[in-house]
Amino acid sequence: MNLSLILTTGLLALQPAAETELQRPSDSAPTTAEAEAPAEEVVPAGEAAPAEGAAEEATPAEEVVAPAEAAPPADDEPAPSEVAAEPTETEPADPAPTATDGERYVVSAGAGGPPFYDAADTVALRARHGIEVEPLERTEGPRWRCLVADPACGHSFEVNALAAYTYRGRQGRVDGMGEDPRWSSGRAQYDFWMNLPVMREVVGDKLFSRMTLGPKGGLIFSDGGSTWGNLGMAFRYWMGRGRWAPTIEFSSALTFKIGERELKDAGLGDPKWKMTRGPLGFTADVGFGLGGFGAIVLGGQYDSPLAREEIPDQYRTSAGGAFFVGFRGNILWGGPAAAAVATHAITQRRVQAP
Amino acid sequence: MSAFVSVFVLSSLLAASPSDDPAGDTDLVEVSQTDDEEEPDEYGPFFEDEAPSDLEYLGRARPGRLPVLSLGEGSFCFVEGTYCKASLILSADIGAGIRAPASDEGPDVPYAQFTFRGGIAIRPAMIRPRKRKAWGSWGVGVVSSWSKGTGAVSFGSDDDFGDAKSTDATTTFRVAAINQMWLSKRNHAAHLDFTFGGARSEVLTSGVTLWGTHAEVGMGFGGWGGLFLSGDFLDRDTRVVLGFRGHGIAAGPIVAMALAGLAAGGAL
Repeated sequence: MNLSLILTTGLLALQPAAETELQRPSDSAPTTAEAEAPAEEVVPAGEAAPAEGAAEEATPAEEVVAPAEAAPPADDEPAPSEVAAEPTETEPADPAPTATDGERYVVSAGAGGPPFYDAADTVALRARHGIEVEPLERTEGPRWRCLVADPACGHSFEVNALAAYTYRGRQGRVDGMGEDPRWSSGRAQYDFWMNLPVMREVVGDKLFSRMTLGPKGGLIFSDGGSTWGNLGMAFRYWMGRGRWAPTIEFSSALTFKIGERELKDAGLGDPKWKMTRGPLGFTADVGFGLGGFGAIVLGGQYDSPLAREEIPDQYRTSAGGAFFVGFRGNILWGGPAAAAVATHAITQRRVQAP
Repeated sequence: MSAFVSVFVLSSLLAASPSDDPAGDTDLVEVSQTDDEEEPDEYGPFFEDEAPSDLEYLGRARPGRLPVLSLGEGSFCFVEGTYCKASLILSADIGAGIRAPASDEGPDVPYAQFTFRGGIAIRPAMIRPRKRKAWGSWGVGVVSSWSKGTGAVSFGSDDDFGDAKSTDATTTFRVAAINQMWLSKRNHAAHLDFTFGGARSEVLTSGVTLWGTHAEVGMGFGGWGGLFLSGDFLDRDTRVVLGFRGHGIAAGPIVAMALAGLAAGGAL
């Protein structure tokens, strides 16, 4: 008997408790979404943002206000209801506080549908937080499917052509014979760039690339049939968000000789172009441009010598280098490509290396 | 009697345990499955689409586009793509490296080459999830290439440079099988390429053309271009090259401008 009572008592204790009276949103009370809108109605214009942080900490007790408690407050909008309580409780008899510091109070309860702020309210809010009063948010997209570099592109691919004046030099000959020749020449360079955004800027809901970095590769031509390949990196910094924003470009690459016209064949008729071996060199340049269309470029190149002890003298090459200044641009708008092809042609015909 | 009553009471209490919990009394949320076709069959990063973002570039590519330059919605693509079942491989590349003869044949010299390559690749194991594009990570195919590189230098002994000989250029023909591993489902996804086959070329300065081994590991971005490290291993003649390649459509303008400059300059 006692055991039965004990078991019975235990089972009764294990039964689920009766359903507690939970507060639920009823049909007449505003729902969560609806509570945000009426809560916003009574929020003074310009008070919502600072009140969100301060009101939560300063007035946790304000949550007992009925409109807020009828629906579970949303995580992002607990304050409007609390702020709504503040003017109601602290200034019940003062309908319109005086405007100070450029702020405006708009009490628009029952004044119609949203939005309950106007452009002047937005300007005042931006001024208070040090945000640009009139942000220049670009609306037009890039052209040419991002084949012309643009800050509105996430990643882009482009083909550039460089036409430049170059001052070349060679460090004599490894056998000690001859002088160190210096001569003026031309340089034509065609590169493929891949631009990846490494620093982005957010304006509204739009992304803009502020800095891009990526691999590049291409061909370099100069006088005497000199042909190099190059593989390296290209960097571009945008000083704006427009299509014609100024840019700073920097690129560097390893270079390798592919071929040139043999000088020693000059006495046997037209020198022929042939594959020519050469050790790795490097080239680097810096440019200042407008948009992705073109840039003024200043750079240099160095070719390593091939003069190891086990290399026969007739196959050794001496060190060489060049400085160049020119214009580099995207080939899509024609000008840079035409300039590079013309530079290449004129260099082949007019320049004779010593 | 009292025991019987106790048992009766216990049984009643056990039977009275609520079996159906109203949804509002617990944290459990019942998920209604209205359509079997909406349930995803595959899981994991390869089979899930990218999460949408509130932020986007003005120049963002439009989603849902077909593979570019393709026939039959990806059945055959002229430019390799993520969702292509069969693709044309057509590229031009340049690279530089080292030519290393056997130790007593000649010095190690720099080596540079340019190559034209063509072939075809297929995806033999395409996965076709419901309501999603078919996709496969593994691609296999065959490629053939022709290259022209710098010449070789050889001599009979280290002490006698008088016998040094050289060639002007080295021409190589290759046939190889290519294995691809596509790493994501983006439109122009990155993929790793492993190529293994044969190379036929003149060995050093002997004038004899022999077959050797060709091996290459590379990384590409869709079919538009990529980097590679390749080696040709012939008898006493080894060439290792690091280079970059571009699809014919991407490399065509550069080649055209270079040829135009050479032609206008009287070099052709």
